[in-house]
Amino acid sequence: MTMEDFHPDSLGLRDFDVDGAVRETFEQCQQETRAGFLRLAAGAGAAAMIAIGARPAVALANAPSPHDTAILNFALALEYLQAAFYTEADRIGALHGALAHQAHVVGMHERDHVKIFKSLLGTAAIKEPQFNFRGVTGNPSAFRSTAVAFEDLAVAAYKEQAPLIRSRSILAGAIAIHSVEARHAAWIRRLAGFLPAAKPFDDPLPDARVVDIVNSTHFVTLRKPHTTSQTAPPFTG
Amino acid sequence: MRQWMLVAGGFFLSVAATALISSNPSVSRRPDRGSSYRGASLTAMPSAFRTGRLVPLTNASSVTRWAPVLRTSVARRAPSFRSARAGTVPARTPEHTTNLVVADGEVVRHGLVWVHVPLAVLPNGTEGWLPRTSLGAWSFIETHLVIDRARLTATLFRAGRAIFHAPVAIGASGTPTPAGTFYIRDRLKGFADPFYGPLAFGTNARSPTLTEWPAGGFIGIHGTDQPSLIPGRVSHGCIRMTNTAITRLGELMPVGTPVTIR
Repeated sequence: MTMEDFHPDSLGLRDFDVDGAVRETFEQCQQETRAGFLRLAAGAGAAAMIAIGARPAVALANAPSPHDTAILNFALALEYLQAAFYTEADRIGALHGALAHQAHVVGMHERDHVKIFKSLLGTAAIKEPQFNFRGVTGNPSAFRSTAVAFEDLAVAAYKEQAPLIRSRSILAGAIAIHSVEARHAAWIRRLAGFLPAAKPFDDPLPDARVVDIVNSTHFVTLRKPHTTSQTAPPFTG
Repeated sequence: MRQWMLVAGGFFLSVAATALISSNPSVSRRPDRGSSYRGASLTAMPSAFRTGRLVPLTNASSVTRWAPVLRTSVARRAPSFRSARAGTVPARTPEHTTNLVVADGEVVRHGLVWVHVPLAVLPNGTEGWLPRTSLGAWSFIETHLVIDRARLTATLFRAGRAIFHAPVAIGASGTPTPAGTFYIRDRLKGFADPFYGPLAFGTNARSPTLTEWPAGGFIGIHGTDQPSLIPGRVSHGCIRMTNTAITRLGELMPVGTPVTIR
């Protein structure tokens, strides 16, 4: 396969777009983030501190400010998406060889990222939505394309948000994740036959553009199945 | 100007990150699936992030996946729209809940993913292929219920470990409980019929004899107002257990759980 330049804009994620629930979810995410602001501003920092860890002094020093909480929740939303994507692919088992290995290892990383963000945010963390990847995780070709898109997107999103982080300790963690996301991007780009590093400098991607791209996937679903009822059982008895 | 700032900033971040990130790799180059992985220290700079041990997924053999049926669909005998019909998969169950299917495999045909599923039709054990587009999001569970018709017991396993065990009543000789592998489709509670106890699980299993039964003669797992008949072979095919047992099972068993009746 010929190596070639490859940009997120050309990924055609909209091909997977079906019902447009992602924007709604991200809007909900933003609302919940605002609610997190209010909770923290109202002095609920103690709750966040408890959620962060066992050592109160360290936790207090690391408790995210309302400003950083919004950024962390945005990152958490992306990590939820990636973790669910790789975990589902790993569980379904339709991938093989190097691609299966990539999904297995990267899935562990993304789940760890989710765990870290959730522990840091405590009660201010947004809830995980339900994802419907619409067959992509069971289709090696579609999985590979989508994974390239997700990793390039995550790298660009972190690059935009990292300079906005005010806490040095949170910035340190964010940089550590950003570089790992870049390694993920290079790994999957190589597997997809694209240049792992296509340009000497990467551009950041504004959060609105990130939301637009994620929205185009329609991988997030808000509709939960209705599996409980008060109907009298019609069973044979 | 802004571009130069971004370039300079990006260079600075790259240098800083290179200097800060630990040289200790987080994973081996070619780890085996299922082996343990160590988390890496994040940076030399004090970080708000606390890393832990990386956790691979549990053994996939104990995991079952299910998905809701988004729209009434035709299941095919092979993964093709040209293949013969294996059955219709409605979007709703007779109990007015969202219908769901479990899956044990899929293939890609002409860019379309097809999912292999057991069907809720007679004869029990009928299987078919559904296009992935007719299903919603996958959910993954690790529970498995085993009904032993010889010993008249129900045992629930989670990740291969027994977490629930209770005596049951099964079908009488004229209305037997069918053998096979099925799954839980829904849970009913809050209804006013003491015959079924406080809780009933619906399955995709059907009575091979009571084919004219209202709603299709589906087999349920439920409580009872006659606990003295448990254990026994007294039912119309359903699996009955005491109300205490079904209530406990309701706390442990999610929908989508596979049910093996042997």
